[in-house]
Amino acid sequence: MRRSAGAGDLLGAYRPGTSSMHAAPLGLKAGVLVVLSVAVLALRSPVLLALAAVLVLTAYAAAGLLRESWVPLRLMWPVLVLLGVFQWWASGVEAAVMVTGNIAVCVTAARLLTLTTAPQELLDGLVSLARPLRPLGADPERFGLTLALMLRSIPFLLGSARDVRESAMARGLERNPRALTVPVVIRAVAYARQTGDALAARGIGERSETKVAKGNR
Amino acid sequence: MPSILLQDASVLPAGDGGTHAPILHPLSLELDTARTAVVGANGSGKSTLLKLLNGLVLPDTGTVSVDGLDTARHGAAVRRRVGFVFTDPLSQLVMPTGRDDVELSLRASVRNRVQRRAAAEARLEALGLLELADRSIYDLSGGERQLMALASVLAVEPAVLVADEPSTLLDLRNTAWLRRIFASLPQQVIYTTHDLDFAADADRVLVMDGGAVVFDGGPREGIAAYRALALGVG
Repeated sequence: MRRSAGAGDLLGAYRPGTSSMHAAPLGLKAGVLVVLSVAVLALRSPVLLALAAVLVLTAYAAAGLLRESWVPLRLMWPVLVLLGVFQWWASGVEAAVMVTGNIAVCVTAARLLTLTTAPQELLDGLVSLARPLRPLGADPERFGLTLALMLRSIPFLLGSARDVRESAMARGLERNPRALTVPVVIRAVAYARQTGDALAARGIGERSETKVAKGNR
Repeated sequence: MPSILLQDASVLPAGDGGTHAPILHPLSLELDTARTAVVGANGSGKSTLLKLLNGLVLPDTGTVSVDGLDTARHGAAVRRRVGFVFTDPLSQLVMPTGRDDVELSLRASVRNRVQRRAAAEARLEALGLLELADRSIYDLSGGERQLMALASVLAVEPAVLVADEPSTLLDLRNTAWLRRIFASLPQQVIYTTHDLDFAADADRVLVMDGGAVVFDGGPREGIAAYRALALGVG
């Protein structure tokens, strides 16, 4: 199974480094990201959007990753174009620029967080985020692990979809929805079971004593 | 050595009303040898037997226990004692790099992140894998991935290592590397393999056929019994 490079690029696999962005605490980076995203989405100001774009590009430069800053646009442009055209038709040019610009800035900013934060640090952060919910029965380690696995699974599943599409094309079935979807679903279920088995075999994510469902063979 | 005890343990096909043959016929066995190899044809029940040993599969009849801990009632405690390596390392490695995966294994035992990182490095270095630690698991060769998966399992220092055909995806060089690592481990090791040279490294060989252990003894006799069974030669 190949990894889907596009999906991995959009999510931003960690790039080790020693810049100030890499050294900044995860809480600070996440806090700035949330404030910036809420501000541009809530205030809908072209000036603020432009300022946010400059700020994000400056942060990429500070991280030594300026060449990475255009990757989300390269990957998302078809969606942004569709959205932009619709917004232009429905609400005018300014709405089209604001909606697509806001999405591009927020995704690009979020990607910088994952590019400059080691997976274990991200996992620790997610666990800390869920810790206040422990009195309600939440298991912070499982919460963090679930989100980390979700991030890891998306490239795998998109790679699987690409493999299935290529297989269907090789058999002249590229217009057959069943040939394109059923194998992807089956592979996704098999992948989930394999991952569950792998985690269970290593005792990761288990509560103190759990029973394994029958049928795992 | 830890003692793994199977008492009349059998495994039936899922949802089967007794119409099909068992995946594993009732089996009573004690595994307490340092190195045990399990050989047999595809579909003979080798993987099911191995999965019984750390509670990934529960017996439909009988019991399986590790140092007195029943796998059905104390699954989590058993899995802390018995590490399991799968045939396909990509289904085992769940983090982007080997270093992250080893650190994931250590999360439960080493809470401090700096100490965890140092512990992960020490374990990777011990297996000669430190220089591969930060590569994406997708950029590693099949052999490197398998060794990284082994490092992730060994990181928590299980008392028993169970490995399901760990050399199947490896070339000759990496198989030799894996055999050297297995030979040097302080743990009890139980593994399945189709590589008869690898099986000959064990102190004890189980030969499986049709969901039953048909031979249990030394490696020379075990391999001869498997050859006779598979090829019809003495």
